[in-house]
Amino acid sequence: MKLTDTFKTAIIGLKTNKTRSALTMLGIVIGIAAVITMNSIGAGAQNLILSRVASMGSNNIFIEPGPWSKRMEKGSMMQSMVEEANITSLKREDAIAIANHPLIEMAAPFTMGVGRIVYLDVDKKSSYSGITPDGQKINENNVILGRDINEDEVKSMAKVVVLGFTLKEDLFGEEDPIGKIIRIQKTNFRVIGVMEEQGVQMFQNMDTYAFIPITTTQKLLLGTDHVKWIIAKAWDEDRIDEIVSDLRLLLRERHSIYNPSGDLAKDDFKIMTQKETADILTSVTGVLTMFLSSVAGIALVVGGIGIMNIMLVSVNERTREIGLRKAVGARKKDILNQFLMEAVTLTFLGGVIGILLGLTFSYLGGVILGNMLDLKWSAPLSLDSILLSAGVAIVIGLVFGIYPARKAAELSPIEALRYE
Amino acid sequence: MAKTTEVIEVRDVRKEYRNGAIKTDVLQGISLKVFEGDFLAIMGPSGSGKSTLMHIMGFLDRPTSGSCNFRGKHIDSLSDDELARIRNKKMGFVFQMFNLLARTSVLDNVRLPLFYSGLKGKEELELAKRAIELVGLTDRSHHLPNQLSGGEKQRVAIARAIVNNPEVIFADEPTGNLDSKSGQQIMDVLQKLNNQGHTIVLVTHEKYTAEMAKKMILIKDGKIVYNQKVDHRRFAKDGFEK
Repeated sequence: MKLTDTFKTAIIGLKTNKTRSALTMLGIVIGIAAVITMNSIGAGAQNLILSRVASMGSNNIFIEPGPWSKRMEKGSMMQSMVEEANITSLKREDAIAIANHPLIEMAAPFTMGVGRIVYLDVDKKSSYSGITPDGQKINENNVILGRDINEDEVKSMAKVVVLGFTLKEDLFGEEDPIGKIIRIQKTNFRVIGVMEEQGVQMFQNMDTYAFIPITTTQKLLLGTDHVKWIIAKAWDEDRIDEIVSDLRLLLRERHSIYNPSGDLAKDDFKIMTQKETADILTSVTGVLTMFLSSVAGIALVVGGIGIMNIMLVSVNERTREIGLRKAVGARKKDILNQFLMEAVTLTFLGGVIGILLGLTFSYLGGVILGNMLDLKWSAPLSLDSILLSAGVAIVIGLVFGIYPARKAAELSPIEALRYE
Repeated sequence: MAKTTEVIEVRDVRKEYRNGAIKTDVLQGISLKVFEGDFLAIMGPSGSGKSTLMHIMGFLDRPTSGSCNFRGKHIDSLSDDELARIRNKKMGFVFQMFNLLARTSVLDNVRLPLFYSGLKGKEELELAKRAIELVGLTDRSHHLPNQLSGGEKQRVAIARAIVNNPEVIFADEPTGNLDSKSGQQIMDVLQKLNNQGHTIVLVTHEKYTAEMAKKMILIKDGKIVYNQKVDHRRFAKDGFEK
C-alpha cells in the first residue's frame, strides 16, 4: 500500500470520529504548547539575566561583605543578600586600597538605602545610592542634565543629589530640577543633575534612584561607615584570576584574617567575577527551566497515553474493517502502518497546533512579564525547539500508537470478520 | 466431464475450536476438489461448518489438520502475508453482511483490494470503474453505502470481489440478508461471472439458491453427506422462487 493511500485512509479514519479525534489531540496540543511556553519563558529569563550580567562588563570584579556560603553556590542570592544586610566588614578604605593595585584601573564603593524624598507637595519613598565619580564611570552612568557628582563633593560630604530619570519625572514633571532643593530623610539636598534613562541594571531599576556622594549617605542618611559592595575594574580581563587572588590576599591582610589555606568560608568578604556570577545565575535558571519543562513533559506523556487509549478503542470498534481489509489482501504491515499513521497524524497535527499555541503563549507571556517587571523581554523563538517539539509529537505518536497498531495487525481475518 | 484443471484441493481437513476446556470439532475430515469454471455450492444448516470450510478454502483460516492447496500451493507452506497476497491477486470475497467501509464511496470501496496490490492510480481507477459497470452501478459510483439498498450494497461487494479479476470468487450467504428480488439479481450476477470463466464457491443454507450452482455438497456436523452435480439447475434470470 502506497504512503499516500495510507495517509488518506488515516485521514478518513480520523474524520469518522471528529470530536473524539479533536479531544485526543487536545492532550498533545496542551503538552506541546506547555513545553514550548515553559522553554521560551525559561530561555527568556536566562537571556535577561545573562544580558544583565554581561552589561556589568567582563573585566569587573565584585566584592561583597560576608563569607562565601554554600548557599551562594546554590544560587540563593536573595537569601544571602538579606543575611549580608548587617555585615559591616567592607569599608570605603578597602576600595581605595584596591584601586591602588597596579592591575586595577579603578575601584568604587557603593551604599544603598531607602528613604522619603520630598519636593514641595510630592512625597515619595525612594531608594538612593551612595556613589563616587569612579562608580558612575564603572557603571557607565551619564547625566543628561546638569552635571555629575565630583571628587570634591565626595570628600566634603556635600549635600548634593543627582536624580534618576524616572525619579526626576516623579518629583518635578516637566519642571527644571537643577538648583532646586529636595528633602531626603529630613535633610536638604541640592539637585545638580539628572541621569539618562538606563532601565534595569544589577536587577534594580536605577532610574528610580537618587545618587548621592557616598560619604554623605554614610554620615547623614545611614549613620554607618561600611559599604554595600565594591566594584573594581581591571585593566586586563585576561588576568582576572590573578587579580582576584591578589585582592583576596590584600583584603585578608587589611581585615587581619589569618587564612593561609585560602578557605573562602573563613573570609569576611567574597569576590566574584562576571563569569562566576553568570555561571551561578545560569545554573539557577537552568534548573528552573528544567523543572517547568518536565512538568510540561508530564502533560505530554499523559497526552500520549490518551492517544494510546483512543487508538485501542478505535481498533476494537473497527475489528470488522480490519478483518475485511485483511480478507481482500492487506498484509500485517499494511494494517500496522494504517493505525500507526492515524496515531502519528493525530500527534503531528496536535504538535503543529501546540507549537502555534506555544508560540502565542510565549509571546504573550513575554509581553506580560515584561510589562509587569518593567523589563525588556527577549525570548528568541528558536527553530530548534520547534523542530524538536514536532519531532517529539511524532515520536509520541509512534511510541503510543505502536501497541494498538500491532494489536490490529495481529488480528486474524476470520476472527476480525466474525467480531460482533 | 470435460478435462479441466484443478484449482482447489481439500484433503481430510479438520478444524477444531477450543474455548477454554470445551473442544468443538467443526470440520471432521473433509475432502473435495474444485475445478476451473466450477460453480460449487456448499450447503448445510447453520453450525454445520460450511462457512469454516469456505474460509479455509479461501485461505482466510488455517485447518487444524489436513491440507488445502490452491493451484498447487500448500496453505501450510505459506506465511500469513503470502496468503494475503494470494487472496489479493487470485480470490474475491462476498459476505452476507456486505462489509462495506462506512463513509467511503462506492468507488473507493471497490478499489480497496487494489490499494494492497501495488497498482498505479490510473490502472486502479480503470479496473474499479469496469467492475462497477459490470454490476450495473456506474451511476452510484460516488454514493456512500448508507445511501444504497441492500441489493445495491451486495452488488458493490461483488464489484469489490471481482475488481482484481480473481480466479475464484467466494460468496458466503450473499443473498442471506436480501429480499428475493435483490437475491435474484445477485445470483444472476454470480452466474454471469461464472459464465465468463470465474470459478465460484457459494455458501448457502437454502436449497433453491444452491440449485443455481453446477455442483453442490451438503455438510452436516462437519462431514460431507452429499456431493454431486445439480440435476435441474435453476437460472436466476428465469425468476427466483421461494
